[in-house]
Amino acid sequence: MKKVLFGAALVLACGVSALAHHSPAAFDRSKEVKLVGTVKEFRWQNPHTWIEVIVPDEKGKDVVWGVELTSPTYLVRAGWKSNTIKPGDKVTVLVNPVRTGEPAGIFRSLTLADGRVLTERPARLGTPDSK
Amino acid sequence: MRGLVISFVIAAIASAGCSPSAQPDSTAASAAPAPTDPPLEPGRVLSALAPSNLARPRPKPPFEVTGNWFIDVSQNPEAWRFGPPYPKLTAVAQKHWDLAKKYTAEGKVYRDDIGQCWPAGLPLIMTRYWPMAMVQIPTAIYMISGFMNSVRIVYLDGRKHTDLDIIVRTYNGESIGTWEGDTLVVDTIGFRGDHHWMDQGGVAIPAGEQLHIVERFRMAGNQLEIEYTMTDPEHWEGEWKSTKRFNRVIDEDIQEVSCLPDLNEHLQSTTSKTQVLQ
Repeated sequence: MKKVLFGAALVLACGVSALAHHSPAAFDRSKEVKLVGTVKEFRWQNPHTWIEVIVPDEKGKDVVWGVELTSPTYLVRAGWKSNTIKPGDKVTVLVNPVRTGEPAGIFRSLTLADGRVLTERPARLGTPDSK
Repeated sequence: MRGLVISFVIAAIASAGCSPSAQPDSTAASAAPAPTDPPLEPGRVLSALAPSNLARPRPKPPFEVTGNWFIDVSQNPEAWRFGPPYPKLTAVAQKHWDLAKKYTAEGKVYRDDIGQCWPAGLPLIMTRYWPMAMVQIPTAIYMISGFMNSVRIVYLDGRKHTDLDIIVRTYNGESIGTWEGDTLVVDTIGFRGDHHWMDQGGVAIPAGEQLHIVERFRMAGNQLEIEYTMTDPEHWEGEWKSTKRFNRVIDEDIQEVSCLPDLNEHLQSTTSKTQVLQ
């Protein structure tokens, strides 16, 4: 049974506050939500990649969660490809949710069905740790 | 359109050369026939890409900025911001500052126009988290941001600022560069004063039509340093100064990036109830 697990409050050290084209203030960085579900759509595009994940809520009703990721520029450096996930794939996604309680969040990590874990890469182009 | 601009720049480089050694000197100019352009109408100035402007003899520039540049956040992840320190704000700006602090404390996002697809504009366009491509030719520097492919042109051909009565105000303004020793001094005016901000993410300071930015470009090894001096008497007192350093990026080119009409439909944070748009 797939379920949404609301993790305990965590204080995350995330200093890259302008990684998105928009303000990051909508997200609650002190919370993590674990989404266990099925990929509805994965859009590989600039300036942001996004995933829609179908996740059953506590009553078993399917809810579509929107997950915002950085641009392919930084995802490629973290091992992502445009076909890393596709509709129908079973995935586990960790997000920092939006503060309103709407089903949306900013990406933290992805666990694929084969156990591989993917994250993002800090935006530090031109420095030795950018790769 | 963006593809056209990029092709335009590439064509200009191909025809003009982008290295100092490729620029004509007085000897070369006298040895080869001078390019001719049709006569200008009264009051017009030569385009930065007009053959006769490109071929005009000029001193060799002290340095070239051609390359891809990215704000150095290796020591400070907040280095993309132009403060703190922030200047003393006027009452007009203080109102926005206070509202942003209030709404941020409530977990809301105040007037995030960039997130709503308005242009970042100068100065923030220089420090977005995507590289800035710069192409220098004898008459101008063409800058194309990896963020929304925003185009900025710094004219180096000796022209003066456009009359403010006819200038078309923009978010990146009109930039004129002059060399002072080993420093390129870029003077920018002609800004739009609506949906234009000096910071983002909990700090709201408007940029108005009186915004005036002077940038002093220097090269330091593989880093480009730009010292900013910014005034806008409508929004703050005196000079707001900030120095930014940019790293040369050799393994990444900018890509086509647009704020497409459906982008924010899939970025729920930009449409959520946290947004305070007015």
